[in-house]
Amino acid sequence: MKTLAVTPLPVILGVLLLLSPACSKKAVQSGGDTRALQEEMARGGAKGGTSSSFPDTSFSGKDDANGLRGIDRSPLEERLGNGGHNGSGTVNPNTTLMAKSDPGAATRQLAEIRAEQTASAAAGLRDVFFAYDSFSITDEGRHALSNDAEWIKSNAQVQLKIEGHCDERGTSAYNLVLGEKRAKAVRNYLVELGVVPQHLSVVSYGKERPFCTEHGEQCYSMNRRGHLVVKVGK
Amino acid sequence: MTLRTLVIAGFCALVGLVWIIESGAADVFLEAARPDFQKIPLAIAGIENLGGTESPEGRVKLGSRIEEVLKTDVRRSLVFALVDVNGLGMKSGQLGAEPDPSFKHAVENGVSVVVWGRAGIKSGNKDADVNMDGYVYDAGNNEVVGGKRYVGSTSVVRLMAHRFADELVFRYTGEPGIARTKIAYVSELGSARELFLMDYDGYDPRQLTADGFLNLMPRWSPDRRYLVFTTYRNRNTQDIDLLELASGKRWTLVSQGGLNITPALSPDGNFLAYSSSSEGNAELYRMDTHTKAVQRLTTNAGGDLSPSWAPSGRELAFTSDRNGGPQVFLISSDGSNVRRLTFEGDYNAAPAWSPRGNWIAYVCRTPRKEYKLCLITPDGQKRVQLTTGPGVDDSPSWSPDGRHIVFSSTADGKSHIYMINTDGKDLERITFTGTHNSAPSWSPAS
Repeated sequence: MKTLAVTPLPVILGVLLLLSPACSKKAVQSGGDTRALQEEMARGGAKGGTSSSFPDTSFSGKDDANGLRGIDRSPLEERLGNGGHNGSGTVNPNTTLMAKSDPGAATRQLAEIRAEQTASAAAGLRDVFFAYDSFSITDEGRHALSNDAEWIKSNAQVQLKIEGHCDERGTSAYNLVLGEKRAKAVRNYLVELGVVPQHLSVVSYGKERPFCTEHGEQCYSMNRRGHLVVKVGK
Repeated sequence: MTLRTLVIAGFCALVGLVWIIESGAADVFLEAARPDFQKIPLAIAGIENLGGTESPEGRVKLGSRIEEVLKTDVRRSLVFALVDVNGLGMKSGQLGAEPDPSFKHAVENGVSVVVWGRAGIKSGNKDADVNMDGYVYDAGNNEVVGGKRYVGSTSVVRLMAHRFADELVFRYTGEPGIARTKIAYVSELGSARELFLMDYDGYDPRQLTADGFLNLMPRWSPDRRYLVFTTYRNRNTQDIDLLELASGKRWTLVSQGGLNITPALSPDGNFLAYSSSSEGNAELYRMDTHTKAVQRLTTNAGGDLSPSWAPSGRELAFTSDRNGGPQVFLISSDGSNVRRLTFEGDYNAAPAWSPRGNWIAYVCRTPRKEYKLCLITPDGQKRVQLTTGPGVDDSPSWSPDGRHIVFSSTADGKSHIYMINTDGKDLERITFTGTHNSAPSWSPAS
């Protein structure tokens, strides 16, 4: 009780502790978060049929001191930075590896993107532009798509990809949904015009691959787009 | 009753105090919103330099660097009020392992805790280890209650400060502190977007993927060993992958047609919630990570996405545009009891449930069509706008102590990552390089 006797703040807090129902509950549970978690896991945790296709992500919640050893009267020397977890479950950045990636992947992607751009430009395909927040195809868009549909129908061997794009406003996540709605609106209209659905695929890039990176309506309107691409590669 | 139990009980009473004040005054809305008297006045007398600089060509001495990082960590902990030591007459070089006469003066000026230490490379060998000793004096005990001794290479000097800061927070609150936490995020490389990892203060960015296309929206596993995220295979299809940080290994968890976005592991790690349009429009799904059994949680004509688990694991907040524009909804983790949470404004999205469970942060579109951060209680009774001004704010993610939110914003032009307290104070930009930093995800505390 030494600490409490000398500092006034904890005394007040201690009195309040007795008055606060939420708190007495928490005090009883102190150090019991682990227990609560284990109980929770026991309730929900029928673990049959574990497959080895990816690692176990379940969390035991053990080590409630979180690798900290406390401030000690005669502290032992702690060596930091050795091994992947420096004694605390902390990821040591020095041993964090870059995910194994195919070294040629980025180069190949770039080559394929260029090939797609060339093929799409040669086909004279026209893109469709959308209003803010909208995935409705405008009259201008319908006009562009009737041109596109004619070309697609007369090039039956071609696989076409419809990319949905958004401007930078709004959240990344919701723009992926909006981008998909735009791409699907384009696909549906092309199908209405008689294009075989099997020749069309859709993908949403949301606001992650903008055509223009300035801020302002001129740029935004360029990025709210259904972009038609002649597919190359897989 | 041990000291630690008392400290925990004291902290608990602090939370209780705020709870009592909250119920009485509507303008005091967050536990971190109380003025400094709740914080523990802490003075950092100094970290004495023992020799050596941060890098061979660098001028910053090791002790000075540790002192600077420690001060920032202590300030950001929001547990302590950092006291200006000017005029208190404490000389870190003269402080040993016993209480110094100068402490009396400091205590009379309201200081509860004094911290000091020394750090550096003692020998002339540039490859020699850095040593750090830290001491803690507690006015309540009127004694030096203990210290820490760290050793390591110059690459871990920031970690020494972070670890000491977390020990201080742990001693006085029973909670681990956030100074050793990490932030995963997305950054632009050419036209590609790759995953990165940095310290919670923006230092030491590390690239994690090199796919050359789009990797989006990383989220941590509760044990901090993995990230889940959306990756574009061959540019045309989206998968949800799992990345192991220690090894760099990757596994594909979800691979099917359509959108497969916004994955989030449950607090116990036993379930992966995500959004997929593989059966038509974007719906929420829940995969059992042990059996791989998938359960569909939502069925409606609108898009459902961005699931965020309550800390209990029993509910999720998510975005849905089933009523027109996107709004935040709640759902039980078995798919039952869906109800709309946000009603103000025509665009509310990207919910993030706080680790204490009492708030949900989200992106709200203001009447001036600005995308800002808002907070709402899970019962919908209290709502506040947290950020203001220009720029698109996105992807709020809570610190594990529930006192800060990290998010992306275009407030300074390019998208960068910012940190803000939950009372709207201490807005700080934490990334300064790169052309597009986004989708931050704050790690759990170890």
